Amino acid sequence: MKNGQKGRLPLKRRRLKQQKAKQADKTAKLEPSVDSKAPLSDSLRANENTFRSIYDNSSDVIFRPFYIGEQVKALLIYIEGLSNIEEIDDSVLSPLIKSKADGDTTVDTLINKKVAVSDVKKVTTFSDSVKEIASGSPVIIVDQQTSGFALGLSKWENRSVEEPQAEMVVRGPREGFVETIGVNTSLIRRRIRSPKLKMKAMEAGEYTKTAIKIAYIDGVADQSVIKEAASRINRIDVDGILDSGVLEEYIEDHPQSPFPQVLSTERPDIVSANLLEGRVAILVDGSPFVLIVPATFYSLLQSSEDYYGRFLIGTSIRWLRYFFLLISLFLPSLYVALLTYHQEMVPTTLLFSIAASRAQVPFPALIEALMMEITFEALREAGLRLPKQVGSAVSIVGALVIGEAAVSAGIVSAPMVIVVALTGVASFTIPRYSASAAVRMLRFPMIFLAGTLGLLGIMLGIIGIIVHMATIRSFGEPYLSPMAPMKWRGMKDVLIRAPWWKLNTRPRFTGETNDYRQADNQKPSPIRGKD
Amino acid sequence: MIENGRISVLQMAILVYPTIIATAILLLPAITGDQAKQDMWLSPIWASAAGFLAVFLAIRLNNRFPDMTIIQYSEVIVGKFLGKAIGLLFILFLAHNCGVTLREYGEFVKGNFLEDTPLAVIIGSMIFICALAVRGGIEVMARSAQVFVPVVTVLFIVVLLLLIPDITPGNVQPVFKDGIMPSLKGATVAAGWFLEFFVIAFMLPFLRNRKKSAKWSIITVVAVIITMVVTNLVTLFIFGALTPTFTYPVMEAARYISIAEFIQHMESVVMAIWVGGIFIKISVLLYITVLSTAQWVRLSDYRPIVFPYAFIIGVLGHWSAENVQELEKFLKETFPIYALLFLALLPTMLLVTAAARGLRSQNTDNRTSSDASAGKDRSK
Repeated sequence: MKNGQKGRLPLKRRRLKQQKAKQADKTAKLEPSVDSKAPLSDSLRANENTFRSIYDNSSDVIFRPFYIGEQVKALLIYIEGLSNIEEIDDSVLSPLIKSKADGDTTVDTLINKKVAVSDVKKVTTFSDSVKEIASGSPVIIVDQQTSGFALGLSKWENRSVEEPQAEMVVRGPREGFVETIGVNTSLIRRRIRSPKLKMKAMEAGEYTKTAIKIAYIDGVADQSVIKEAASRINRIDVDGILDSGVLEEYIEDHPQSPFPQVLSTERPDIVSANLLEGRVAILVDGSPFVLIVPATFYSLLQSSEDYYGRFLIGTSIRWLRYFFLLISLFLPSLYVALLTYHQEMVPTTLLFSIAASRAQVPFPALIEALMMEITFEALREAGLRLPKQVGSAVSIVGALVIGEAAVSAGIVSAPMVIVVALTGVASFTIPRYSASAAVRMLRFPMIFLAGTLGLLGIMLGIIGIIVHMATIRSFGEPYLSPMAPMKWRGMKDVLIRAPWWKLNTRPRFTGETNDYRQADNQKPSPIRGKD
Repeated sequence: MIENGRISVLQMAILVYPTIIATAILLLPAITGDQAKQDMWLSPIWASAAGFLAVFLAIRLNNRFPDMTIIQYSEVIVGKFLGKAIGLLFILFLAHNCGVTLREYGEFVKGNFLEDTPLAVIIGSMIFICALAVRGGIEVMARSAQVFVPVVTVLFIVVLLLLIPDITPGNVQPVFKDGIMPSLKGATVAAGWFLEFFVIAFMLPFLRNRKKSAKWSIITVVAVIITMVVTNLVTLFIFGALTPTFTYPVMEAARYISIAEFIQHMESVVMAIWVGGIFIKISVLLYITVLSTAQWVRLSDYRPIVFPYAFIIGVLGHWSAENVQELEKFLKETFPIYALLFLALLPTMLLVTAAARGLRSQNTDNRTSSDASAGKDRSK
């Protein structure tokens, strides 16, 4: 620990140190040192030179000099492909160029009277200008002025809003997040229109300058969680954040745990529902996955469809999911334990048929199970990575070949194939991919424990997993809450999916700010007294 | 405070219940049946007096010294030297008790299921897992217990329900054939288990809200009585006078379960369920041992000594008896007196002395602040 702390200089300082070392070393090629914090000067020529040296060797940055009213020199700077060129031409360049020769050319007048663009921002320093240009807003600087203005005319190619492929629903909204943060915030804002919905802007990544937004509902979300999320994001000092998955790893509580402590989703309706329950969402530009904190183990097992269908069906589906979670975690290890240590528990007829099909198999059950499970995981992975056209074909053929041929060749037994297939199906019932990945991974140590200590080994494994889950927290919330520590009002959304008119209180976490989310007695009833 | 976690009274109850019950349901029917014969179901009721006594002592002492465990207040009550001596004896008792419990578990699993597995592996794997839980602190143990205890209890009830076809309620007669004495004799052994209720003395200082501690302790005692009576009754109904001939009557009973020729030979499942309970028991015993030791030598944190201690207790368990017969003899003959000495007489003596000298912890605030600063130092 102590050694680690010595080496932990902030990255910026380490970079400076490196640069100083380079400067000392005369052979190293110096980058043009431009003081980007400096304000714009009133000389257009000087400003242009500075910008050109900042954007040295950047062929995609366009400099377009022009005259306002044929008199005053001005310069337009933008990045090719990030800005809406037609709009710039129509609403900015042509009115400025065609304006009267003797007009007032202070920046404020230009913004107020000449430029027909709704989103205009005044910039006074080089760093601000560079930031605006990088985010796609063209910047115009004018001669004799110590400030310029940025036009919010960014426009780039992005994927349209479509149904998320990893989180399908039969009933419920079909929109999914995209890679552009502005579209994502609008998808949430369209669902929660109250001004109480806040979006705190942040930034991370030394080079990527990735935009991050912390969304929460004021008065519903726990302030301490918001603060904690903000401080954890502020702490990040890295080169770049390319996906919310990277951010997740920097902000979670226990990075060594196999269990995800942050809920990630592509669905705006899930984010909105969680915001309404008092959680906090973190949006990352460039990623269609929005992070939700704090996440508990049970929230990873909830699907949005539980809430859109009838509650009885939602409850039974939820129980089915819990059951198959156990199946996907324990079935292969139970099979191994029963066959290796506890044959007496298997009914006689079943034992005979299993023994008959295992007669030819040269491996002990433990090796057989490990082999088949690894093969299944490999098939699944291959199915994901292969090109779409061949992916499904290959996985089917692979399964058939391995299932059929391996059994008839006597390498594996048919019951084992059934067990592995059932486990595979079971792991797909878990709605969050990250949670099902954790379960899939834990299956292997469980098989190993079952093969060495039988049912006792399985039980020790269960105890180990539960103790681990009891240890971890997500942003202050115990991971197994509301079961341990027991909170009854949270249980009605865990053990069952209580009908909506019964879910009066928020399944709240640490802060008890705004307990009630609906009025009492909203249970509908039929009209009585008519014939 | 050495322990930063805080638990609720419900969590305390849920930790203490398996601490008493886990080994009791296995061994108690045979041991009480030996003396009490067909009156064995009455023995836990007499024995519960010991449970109420232990709860009374723990809560009264805690009222006088709210933020201290017995290791700390014995120094206040009888002076530094004598207090340290009592603390040392207590720690040795706790460690030994933990080792014996671990051995009970090891013997049971080895004797019934994993005959060829070395005892060291069975004991070692369990104490390792328990050490993990103890390292997490009392909150982690409480949360784990909240997951296990409801599941284990429900499954245990299911097992008992599945045994209904095999019972012969007539086995309970004749009641009081030889008067009240046999059941009282049987109660002496059960009292040893009830005295273990004194472990709450190590949890009371860490309660979030101490108001309902007495109420919940009594609820736990009653729950333990009910469980013991039901267990004794069921084994009596099934085996009658044969009960004392088995070492683990409940486990033998589980072999009788057979539903539709499909669910049969449930004893391994019962073992697996029971392991969930014994895990809580060993964790609690290990925790209080480690905590006491840390307090006795005034460490600022008990976590660093958990794993070394777990190893020592594993060895202690291995050495505590030659074989299962010797272990059973110890539990039957020595343990009641052993427990009475440490869990009843010693605390009574402390309480009486404290009351006679009118001692209370006045400088609670000083203590907590100095402990808090110690905690801060550690976090740095």
